[in-house]
Amino acid sequence: MRWRTKFGRMALALAAILSASALPLRAQVRNSGASTITLQAVLNDSMSVSLSGNAVSFNLTGGSASNPGSVGVTATTTWLLKPSVGSVSLYAFFASSSAALTDGAGDNISSADFQISDNAGPFTALTNTVPFGGANAGLMVSNTKILGNNKSGTRTDVLNFNINLSTLPSLPAGTYTGTLTIQAQAI
Amino acid sequence: MKTRTLFRIGALALGMALTTMASAQAINSGAQTIALNATLAESLTLSLSANSVNFTLAAGSAANAGSTNITATTAWVLKPGRTAVGVYAYFANAAQALTDGAGDNIPSSAFFISDNAGASTALTSTVAFGAANGGMQLANVAITGANKNSSRTDVMAFNINLTGGTLPQLPAATYTGTLNIQAQVTP
Repeated sequence: MRWRTKFGRMALALAAILSASALPLRAQVRNSGASTITLQAVLNDSMSVSLSGNAVSFNLTGGSASNPGSVGVTATTTWLLKPSVGSVSLYAFFASSSAALTDGAGDNISSADFQISDNAGPFTALTNTVPFGGANAGLMVSNTKILGNNKSGTRTDVLNFNINLSTLPSLPAGTYTGTLTIQAQAI
Repeated sequence: MKTRTLFRIGALALGMALTTMASAQAINSGAQTIALNATLAESLTLSLSANSVNFTLAAGSAANAGSTNITATTAWVLKPGRTAVGVYAYFANAAQALTDGAGDNIPSSAFFISDNAGASTALTSTVAFGAANGGMQLANVAITGANKNSSRTDVMAFNINLTGGTLPQLPAATYTGTLNIQAQVTP
């Protein structure tokens, strides 16, 4: 009887040990279902033009082809564009081709007599129709192709100005004022 | 079923068209302005081809021509509202256009100018400059819209007439004087 009891206790202890060693088998990794978070980051396209100065004066000589502006103006164009954009263009223009500058008394200097040199290039009159301003009153100052490596970029255009009065020999003395606008477009 | 398929194809085409339109949109920078101020100053100048004339006088003679002609070039750039440019020749003293410094004088009325081969005219008028009755108007140019910026030349030929009054009794001597040429724009 005693032997039986002893054996029974041992069997019980063994069973307990076996039972304990079986516990890790029950603690297997359990994963929850995956929950998602939608992320959206927007890098907006942008383009800006800044000018180094906003005023240019001219001391005119009647009938002279050479009447340079008092100072050059640097236009800095900065852009951040989508992949679909092909080029960035910088334009200079007047609202009216016939009265780019005026004395307010009916005497005008036309945009055809106003010239811009970009980055020391030749002087060119503002006689084209561009996306902005009056008809025949503009000039495309520069055009930059957008490739894979310059979707984010910048360029500078040093603008020098001249008024050609050789075609206006009868322009009366006076003070002529006007507004030249510089604007960029990406397309 | 067929209608559904057509609807899906249509929706897909519309979506593609909208995407294309969106990608072709131009991006414009802000417009930057440059104020232009051009001044064409009013001016009126007169220059002479020479500054001295000699006369070899013959007592009592009506014809004592100057040694050389002188060309006066008048140039102007005028403001609107100007109506005339006058060119004048005058002495400071009508009674003593030329003098020997010893009380013997040749008056301005004995001094003649022919302008651009025109009639020879004595300096007996009161003009904008100089002494009363000591001048003459060489030229008068009406200013219109076409000649606010212009010039003109006056070729002056000189003569001293020693026939008038007591001039036939003019003593031998060297007579000197200063003739002035000046232009005026009015109003």
